[in-house]
Amino acid sequence: MLEATSVPEIKLEGVEMKYQTAAAEVLALHQISIDIARGEFVSLLGPSGCGKTTLLRLMADLIQPTGGEVKVAGKSAKEARLAQKYGIVFQSPVLYEWRKVKHNITLPLELMGMKKAQREEKAMRLLELVGLRGFEDKYPWQLSGGMQQRVAIARALSMEPEILLMDEPFSALDEFTRERLNEELLSIWSEVGNTVVFVTHSIPESIFLSDRVFVLSPHPGRLSAVVDIPLPRPRTPDMRNTPEFFELIARIRGSFEGV
Amino acid sequence: MRHQTVLFRGKLLPVIVWVLGVLVLWEAVSWLLLDVIKTPLAQSKLPYVHKVAATLWEYGDTLLKEGGVTFSNAAIGFLLGGFTGALLAILMSLSKWLEQLAFPYAVASQMIPILGLAPIIYGIVRDEQISRILISGYITFFPVALNMLRGLRSVTSSSLELMYAYAAKPWAVYWKLRFPASIPGLFSGLKIAAPLAVTGAILVELMGARRGIGVIMLRNLYYGPSHTYMFWSTVIAGAVMGIASYLLMSLLERLVAPWQPEFRPKGGGQ
Repeated sequence: MLEATSVPEIKLEGVEMKYQTAAAEVLALHQISIDIARGEFVSLLGPSGCGKTTLLRLMADLIQPTGGEVKVAGKSAKEARLAQKYGIVFQSPVLYEWRKVKHNITLPLELMGMKKAQREEKAMRLLELVGLRGFEDKYPWQLSGGMQQRVAIARALSMEPEILLMDEPFSALDEFTRERLNEELLSIWSEVGNTVVFVTHSIPESIFLSDRVFVLSPHPGRLSAVVDIPLPRPRTPDMRNTPEFFELIARIRGSFEGV
Repeated sequence: MRHQTVLFRGKLLPVIVWVLGVLVLWEAVSWLLLDVIKTPLAQSKLPYVHKVAATLWEYGDTLLKEGGVTFSNAAIGFLLGGFTGALLAILMSLSKWLEQLAFPYAVASQMIPILGLAPIIYGIVRDEQISRILISGYITFFPVALNMLRGLRSVTSSSLELMYAYAAKPWAVYWKLRFPASIPGLFSGLKIAAPLAVTGAILVELMGARRGIGVIMLRNLYYGPSHTYMFWSTVIAGAVMGIASYLLMSLLERLVAPWQPEFRPKGGGQ
């Protein structure tokens, strides 16, 4: 949708990731170069073992590459993290069970040093955004898995991050919940307008959500294709049943190597 | 309202039946020992419940006063020990090096029999109040340190990564993540330690104090069979203090950390 502007929001150049195990050296990622534009929604798609989560963790500065470099708006990933540019959503919600829903959402704001009244007001708006108004005083265990993941999304959005990193956030949910949350995520993104990197192993999910899909293949983890998704926005559920959609599925399926 | 009373009855009824059953059985066995088998010193072995109860009632003032001395000293020692234990746990969680240094000493400290340690401490400080406080604290710190340390270490790597991704300062990681996560551990330590702190204080009193429930206990034991009922009363008073200290900690836990799995209603939420 969005054309790449002059300075890419996220730029990976020749990124390489090696692990030393007792038996041998494992090459998890081989020569990955990716440019992601500001405001773009991209997916990292691939089977397990392709290094897609590793790639996301590299962007988040949770791990550091053994070769190549990761740049975020021209700076290092570490600088971007310290400047609190990231919102992150994991595969599991990772809510703090001693905090009520609203206080889970305000956690990043507390770390930023925002005033309490402002924080709480913001949490209420975010709850509205993710459709959980009225649940602010519940504890995480009182919510279903899908609701918990929505709280995690609200938390990730709370500090208005320039970059939202999502690591298979809906993979633990059933198909119906997942599709509904896909639609909700897109409507939230259309309001917030930040850059989103979304890791998934579901081909339809990656197509439905993204402007571009980066297809990764395993052993060693490498980029085997970049697929533009020309479907118009806003995306609607019935697009999942169009010939273009199926054609994209077939194209992406054909682009995997060595699976 | 109706629903609540039914629930209340459903929970309370078994307890009442159980307690009454034990009392009736107790009474029956002491009657058996005394009047049927005619064992020597039958009442010292198992006195009549109703007589013990009467003694408890008659000497309630004394028991309450002396028990109060024991309990308040035990409570001070417990607080000091709990505080020390928590501090030690935090220090050990901060540094592996410190843990390796301190842990063997903490374990070794628990190998010393309290029965031997109590007179030593009493000999050094020469004050029964301080001795009681020290022994109660000494007993408390170890279970608290051990359980709280486990709690501090119990945080998942993803919840730590979340903090890291938001560039949280080290103190924030402690204050907002490790510390709250350790509260259940802290309370398991406190719940183990509370009755032990009371027992420890009583033990010190047996070494020759002038006040406290342990003193009346010892005195009535010396006086022999004629004071059996009073002796049993002091034992019961001691037990009640232990149970009360445990219940107090349980109540506090419910207030401080109500989010824990064991406090959730059965059948899940929502």
